[in-house]
Amino acid sequence: MSAIDDAQEEANMDLTPMIDVVFLMIIFFICIEFKVLESKLDAFLPTDKGSQSTVVEPEEQLSIKIHVESKGTEDYERYGGKGVNPNTGRPNRFVLDGHKVKWEVGPKPVYTLEALRKELVRIASLPESQIPDKANPGKTKLMSCVIEAYPGTYYNDVSRTSDAAQSANFAEINFGGGLGPGK
Amino acid sequence: MNLEKMVQEELDMDMTPMIDCVFLLMIFFVLVIDLSQKNLEDLILPRAEFQEPDEEPDENRPILNVLQNGTVIYSSKVYYDPAQHGKDYSKIKDLLGDIRRVGIANKTLTLVDKDVGGATAKVMDEPILIRADKWTEWHYVGEIMKQCSQPDIAFWKVQLALSEEDKETGEKNASLTRGQ
Repeated sequence: MSAIDDAQEEANMDLTPMIDVVFLMIIFFICIEFKVLESKLDAFLPTDKGSQSTVVEPEEQLSIKIHVESKGTEDYERYGGKGVNPNTGRPNRFVLDGHKVKWEVGPKPVYTLEALRKELVRIASLPESQIPDKANPGKTKLMSCVIEAYPGTYYNDVSRTSDAAQSANFAEINFGGGLGPGK
Repeated sequence: MNLEKMVQEELDMDMTPMIDCVFLLMIFFVLVIDLSQKNLEDLILPRAEFQEPDEEPDENRPILNVLQNGTVIYSSKVYYDPAQHGKDYSKIKDLLGDIRRVGIANKTLTLVDKDVGGATAKVMDEPILIRADKWTEWHYVGEIMKQCSQPDIAFWKVQLALSEEDKETGEKNASLTRGQ
């Protein structure tokens, strides 16, 4: 009887730790952020560029210029130092410390994102910012704005600027290009 | 002794089907993660509060990734590297041309006629998504947009990827923190 009991115990291996581990792994995979929270900013490019020569009447638009005040320094330490990540084959990220920009909304300089937002809201509320809507004759719409990013500006600067413009109800946001690299 | 055996048998429930299920679930999750991240490089996108969410994106939408140093990556492959190609942006144009040609051949991308000031032009109906790191110099993104607008490329619906959370600073949009 004792020998049979022994054999029985060996056959009924304790699976609890294994199940524990497997469950932990499942929880890990579920919690991993594989659903990237992303939103998007639409930018419709001019389709008539280079393909035809119709003269388009210039439309009044608000110019938002982004100038670099201080470029900032690249800090690689937070993401494993300067070099290539052997696992991904991609260069390690850096964080830009002390990067500072200033904006010019029309002729007016602004130095913080909050001030930019307030200035854009103020301009959007002015009656002279309304222009005739060509698509709906007889109606008016808020004029479009163009973001001109000067050399040395980063994607972050432009996206925060367009976000501020969007918050002030500017629906048509254009990007001025061709201003060249920063270096 | 007989009673003891019966109790013993009840305790030793058969765990095999459960473990099978659990393993299947694991395999499923591993595969799902791999598939969904194939086209997305590990970037930190800038945070934006007032943009539209990217719900139900077009499956055929091409996704270009731009690293901090301006490297352009499509489907995990490097097509333009500023260190190697410098100001020779023709690599980006070639890539966009290839995406357009293959897409039209496979019927995943379609050309439509668009009225531009009296004349019609053939433009791509599907959008293209540009994912750039928050600390990517803007002129690299601007260059891709410039190439997209060329008449022989005509990706005129350009989308710029943004995030609801800045993973570098940990800042989150109010819409994300409200539920917590």
